[in-house]
Amino acid sequence: MRKRMRLAALLAAVALVAAACGSAAEDTTTTTTTTEQDTTTTSAGVEVGGPVVIEAAESISALFLPKCTNIPVFPQANSGAEEAAAELGSDPASFVGPADCGDSTGQIEFMANAVTQGVGAIMVSNNAGDELAPSAQAAADAGIPVVSWDSPIPSAEGESVFVAQVDFDDTGVVMADMALEILGAGGGEFAILSATPEAANQNAWIAAMESALVEDDKYADLVLVDTVFGNDVAEDSVTQALALADQYPNLGLIMAPTTVGIVAAAQAMTQEGLCDQVKVSGLGLPDEMREYSLSGCAPVFALWDFVDLGYLTYYVAYGIATGQIEAAEGVVFEAGRMGMYTITADPTRDSGLRVLMGPFTVYTVDNIGG
Amino acid sequence: MSDWLSRHRWEAVLLVVLVVTIIGNAALSPFYLGFGNFINLFWLSIEKIIVVVAMAFVIINGEIDLSVASVMGFSAAVMASMQVSGDIPFLLAVVFGILAGALAGLVQGLLIARIGLPSLVVTLAGLIGFRGAARVILEDRSIGDFPEWFDRLGQQPLLGPIPLALIIFFAILAVAWVVLERGSFGRKVYIIGNSADVARYSGIGVSGVKLRLFIVSGLTAGLAGVLFAARLGSVRGSLAEFFELDIITMVLLGGVSIFGGSGTMFGVVLAVFTVLNIRNGLGLANVDGIMQTGVVGLLLLGSVLVPNLIERRRTRLPAPEP
Repeated sequence: MRKRMRLAALLAAVALVAAACGSAAEDTTTTTTTTEQDTTTTSAGVEVGGPVVIEAAESISALFLPKCTNIPVFPQANSGAEEAAAELGSDPASFVGPADCGDSTGQIEFMANAVTQGVGAIMVSNNAGDELAPSAQAAADAGIPVVSWDSPIPSAEGESVFVAQVDFDDTGVVMADMALEILGAGGGEFAILSATPEAANQNAWIAAMESALVEDDKYADLVLVDTVFGNDVAEDSVTQALALADQYPNLGLIMAPTTVGIVAAAQAMTQEGLCDQVKVSGLGLPDEMREYSLSGCAPVFALWDFVDLGYLTYYVAYGIATGQIEAAEGVVFEAGRMGMYTITADPTRDSGLRVLMGPFTVYTVDNIGG
Repeated sequence: MSDWLSRHRWEAVLLVVLVVTIIGNAALSPFYLGFGNFINLFWLSIEKIIVVVAMAFVIINGEIDLSVASVMGFSAAVMASMQVSGDIPFLLAVVFGILAGALAGLVQGLLIARIGLPSLVVTLAGLIGFRGAARVILEDRSIGDFPEWFDRLGQQPLLGPIPLALIIFFAILAVAWVVLERGSFGRKVYIIGNSADVARYSGIGVSGVKLRLFIVSGLTAGLAGVLFAARLGSVRGSLAEFFELDIITMVLLGGVSIFGGSGTMFGVVLAVFTVLNIRNGLGLANVDGIMQTGVVGLLLLGSVLVPNLIERRRTRLPAPEP
């Protein structure tokens, strides 16, 4: 109870500060009140006052849990989280996780230890499906906000909010468009090389792509022949890419919605001299893909900025942990250098809340640099 | 006391390592010493350590069961698929899931005990085959939405702060301890592990003992698979993948010889406690997964190396006086 009072007082104080600063407040119709009674109603209602500027309050301890620690995008995301923590005067979150992305239930132990440590917030890129939900619920029961990023908890159970890099339905369209660009109007066969069969984000993107393919006639001649899994392990992904090229003689494209898979596929096609027949596309890191972009093996691919994703995620988690914002639909907040965001219902899941970062950057030989 | 020490050299070493680990953890992390954490430390690996107990019997008997993790996945998959079809009460699906594990053990046991194929080969095939079966049953789906009582048993404490799986573990451990070190069956397991020929000449039903061990190993793996499904709240074909490595590691670290015939339940329990405490301490000290795996690997290497070095030093002739 005392905790709730303190939270209410904090909310009130923040609302005051926000109102006083009045930074970029578009919506001035709702007035912020400072009486205890009124602010407590915000916990139930959606009618929160103008945007909340998330700013330095107390330092919090937190866990920044990646799918695994040995894939470059995750340390990148962590560097963004560290930048945000520094700006907010908070201790950097501890960046630990399973050694191997193939270990889909390994994150449970890290979540449980964080609950034992009584951290202020947990930020997780879910490497499983709902297998992580009981752990997230346990954290939530202990009063620890769980903010997912990169890959959400499908049921949203125990999760405060999901910081989405891009709209998952858009991802499907972007991938379908890239496939169309590479295979041309005449169409052709392509295959998907994904991460683990469990990965919630990759599965959502693949599903979105599959539905994009049937919804628009312009994709009618694109034929998805197979979906295989390289487990986000380089060697496995190379093997799977080669097997695809072997098995489907008419294959024109390997679409890999994972930064590990796309490099592995490009490397495999390059080494086997297959780049003329089989192109590679999907989601890739510009630094890792530059060589293959310039060689024409991967003429077009896309990604978002993982540093920004980590930065925004830390702001959201910190805002919730310090009581500055609430994980509720309609809450508008400002996250440092990245500006304004709104918490909305997640349209790509049955339940759950989402902060949408966006946008995609599509890389071709024209903007890859080097 | 000195008699105990000379016969239980490795257990003594483990005891020291365990005490050092506990003191070190307590010094490193203020969150370590707490009843909640103590429960948690077991709970997070409970399915593995249940299988460890059965695996100790198999290895002491001079055999190996590489299929346990795949059998865990297979049992959970059988249970989950019955839940989906929805024709039978879920409790029955749970029972069938566990029995599927026993059946997997029976099939492998028959090949090993009756036909005489090496367990390494048979259970390697089992590792691949039962994992494949689990994947075939579930495809790439995840099956959840189990009845609430099932999820609650897996995810909530049952008796005060103690969850069901912990109670099951300690019950199995107690029975296993008595059977292995106090009963005639346990004596047969050791004798066969030392020399199957000697056992045969002594009139011990070698193949019967082996068959029973593999059935129990499968049954235990089936139970562990179902318990893991309850803790996760959903099942996939990849459930418990690669767990066999951690399970065998803990048995060997417990001083059980990979060649069979020696090892004690006390040693295995100490190894389990040591590994879990080290992992927990490193986790609470925010040590990364890569390092955690490395430390446990070093520990296993040490467990093979140290006794060998001691043995070599003991058998070396004293150096001549100058």
